[in-house]
Amino acid sequence: MINLEPLTNEQPRVDLANLSDADTAFAIENLDLYYGDKKALSDVSMRIPKGQVTAFIGPSGCGKSTLLRSLNRMNDLIDNCRIEGNILLEQQNIFDRHVDVATLRRKVGMVFQRPNPFPKSIYENVVYGLRLQGVKDRRRLDQAVEESLRGAALWDEVKDRLHDNALGLSGGQQQRLVIARAIAIEPEVLLLDEPTSALDPISTLVIEELITELKQKFTVVIVTHNMQQAARVSDNTAFMYMGELIEYNDTNTLFTTPSKKQTEDYITGRYG
Amino acid sequence: MGQWYKSGSPWIWLTSGAVSLSLIAVIGLLGLIAWRGLVYFWPSTIYQFDVTQPNGITEQVIGEIYERDSIPAQRLRDNGQVIAPDVEEVESILIKTGNREFVELDFRWILADTITKQQAHPDLVIFERNKNGNFYGYIDSVVVDGQLKTGDNATKLAALEQSLARVELLNEQADELQSGNINHINYQLEGLRLEQRRLELENKLTPAVLADIEQQRTELGNEYLVHEKRLFELRAETKRDKVQVRDMRGEIVELSLSSILAVHLPNQMGIFAKIGHWLSAMASFVVDDPREANTEGGVFPAIFGTIFMVLLMAVIVTPFGVVAAIYLHEYAKKGTVTKFIRIAVINLAGVPSVVYGVFGLGFFVYILGGSIDELFYPEASPSPVFGSPGVLWSALTLAILTLPVVIVSTEEGLSRIPISLRQGSLALGATQAETLWKVVIPMASPAIMTGLILAVARAAGEVAPLMLVGVVKMAPALPIDGNFPFIHVERKFMHLGFHIYDVGFQSPNVEAARPLVFASSFLLVTVIIGLNMTAIGIRNYLREKYRSLEH
Repeated sequence: MINLEPLTNEQPRVDLANLSDADTAFAIENLDLYYGDKKALSDVSMRIPKGQVTAFIGPSGCGKSTLLRSLNRMNDLIDNCRIEGNILLEQQNIFDRHVDVATLRRKVGMVFQRPNPFPKSIYENVVYGLRLQGVKDRRRLDQAVEESLRGAALWDEVKDRLHDNALGLSGGQQQRLVIARAIAIEPEVLLLDEPTSALDPISTLVIEELITELKQKFTVVIVTHNMQQAARVSDNTAFMYMGELIEYNDTNTLFTTPSKKQTEDYITGRYG
Repeated sequence: MGQWYKSGSPWIWLTSGAVSLSLIAVIGLLGLIAWRGLVYFWPSTIYQFDVTQPNGITEQVIGEIYERDSIPAQRLRDNGQVIAPDVEEVESILIKTGNREFVELDFRWILADTITKQQAHPDLVIFERNKNGNFYGYIDSVVVDGQLKTGDNATKLAALEQSLARVELLNEQADELQSGNINHINYQLEGLRLEQRRLELENKLTPAVLADIEQQRTELGNEYLVHEKRLFELRAETKRDKVQVRDMRGEIVELSLSSILAVHLPNQMGIFAKIGHWLSAMASFVVDDPREANTEGGVFPAIFGTIFMVLLMAVIVTPFGVVAAIYLHEYAKKGTVTKFIRIAVINLAGVPSVVYGVFGLGFFVYILGGSIDELFYPEASPSPVFGSPGVLWSALTLAILTLPVVIVSTEEGLSRIPISLRQGSLALGATQAETLWKVVIPMASPAIMTGLILAVARAAGEVAPLMLVGVVKMAPALPIDGNFPFIHVERKFMHLGFHIYDVGFQSPNVEAARPLVFASSFLLVTVIIGLNMTAIGIRNYLREKYRSLEH
């Protein structure tokens, strides 16, 4: 049986269809995305609410990671990627020519599938983003390191070896370090791209607990291929298939009474 | 048999055989040059031979045994020598007799049969001289300040040692004066001449300025005369003492101590004394200046020139190659043009090095150097400053020669950095340039060092292009000295590789030079290995520091 009990208690239900601008983190409008001639996303429109955890699920190649990477324009790095449509962050189109992509990514942090700490000390990893912003004050950096590592539930494990190489940490610790690194620059949104797929079950559990903590401060968008995980950690879930957004609803509704046949087939394990 | 073939053993034997062959080749090569080069410094026994010619005349020969060889008897008979009919081969000994100014040849082949007596007399002495090579003989007497000192050998030696120490002290003072004050005054005088010429060209040479220059010149001239007088005094002082030596002809020869560098009695040395002598001879080979058209003395200027030129080249090629590789790998669009450029770069590595030398001469020396002279040194005309071969142009030429290596290995290093790390940096709000500086280049630094190691190894061994763009047989001054601006990159320099070629093939005295060829080769290999080891050490440190992610 799939455990559908959310890790946190009562959540304020929001009306995803008629979300006000003030409650919206991202408003995606008619997004089409092409890799060369291949259409990877077609006509995706959705509003991602602030202060909640939104999960993207779907079979491999359905475009959920592509959609996530569009939110902080990581797709810019791919040579032949072309995007049509809008994504609004605070009513501002992130594809606008005036938007500085580095500033955007400072507001929209990202954690990848595999832990990717830099080959530097734990301390230097956490302050990397702050140093980029020109922060030199030692006290402020120290403070940010402690806060971020506490926020990522890693402080107690590494507080005595902050200046050791980050590559000496275990996979789960590395992933939490990467989360600490992302939240050190205090983004508004945190994008998690299958953050536990390379981790063992115990580390996965720690990260999942962490995600529910994180939403106190950040809007979290998570891509996962693990439906139990989506059910456990997210408030809202979007099911995608073949580049299209099939169904988007609050997690409870989507998993208990899906309105589309495709969604039901997927969550009951009939394909995917 | 078929079973054995199928088991794969032949393949293992074949591959391991190839490795063994390479190892034997490398070790054999190093062993040979090390042996031949290092043996040269070992104090060999001096023998006194009594050689009786077939016609009954006995002659005395004093010297070191240099080589033994077997000569077919027939060849000697053809030359008109009388050899017993049943003998097929005759052993022949090459003896280094020294005393170059008194005998026709300082190396002599002697047939072993004709030696009637061979004796290593303990009182036989080698005099190392700054001219005409070694002198072998017995000390007859020592002349100290006009007084003849005779007596037993120990007394004479003691007197000689004492006088030699005095001469050495005087010579040191004289050298210091010459390379210090006098050299400095000459440099300043040359500067004044150029200054005057420059003002003249700019039409600013007013009588007042001219008078000022003249006055400075007179002052320097007077100072020069004082130093010169002192120098002549010192040099004359060194000629006070003399030693009288009985040579192998039995004649007494008077040698001035001013020409003698050292005195040894190798036949009296114990093993430890020999080892001590061997070590000090090697040390002086490394730190001394060459003498006698490079066939004697040390190779210090050549070592210095080699290392200085290679380091200068490394300083030029590294940033240039790294920047080019970064553009090709990080910024350039992946298209036909980029591919074409990359192929062109790789092909550059295959161009014969002498072609680079010709290019360096034509472009750097004549065009670039010529233009620099025209623009900045008109007063030196017609003598060139940068418009003639020099260490800077050599370094630049070799930098172009080694550029492909650095570019290729840097690119390889860049492509090995996981994309996830770049994304991690970009996702934290870093620009592409910030990502490059903070993550990519530090992580690619071991690969950059690998490129540099290959570049240094290639550049240090390259001689052909240097002969066109800056190397000389004998450079009057090092590229670094005490005269402002201290580093003189326009100067010509000496190079170990060229030194080997020069001593081996252009030397007036082939036999005397041959061991030096091996010693210099061994030193060149040592220098290259030393440079490489340093670079490898740095690379390993960097590798450890930027150990890549383990997935």
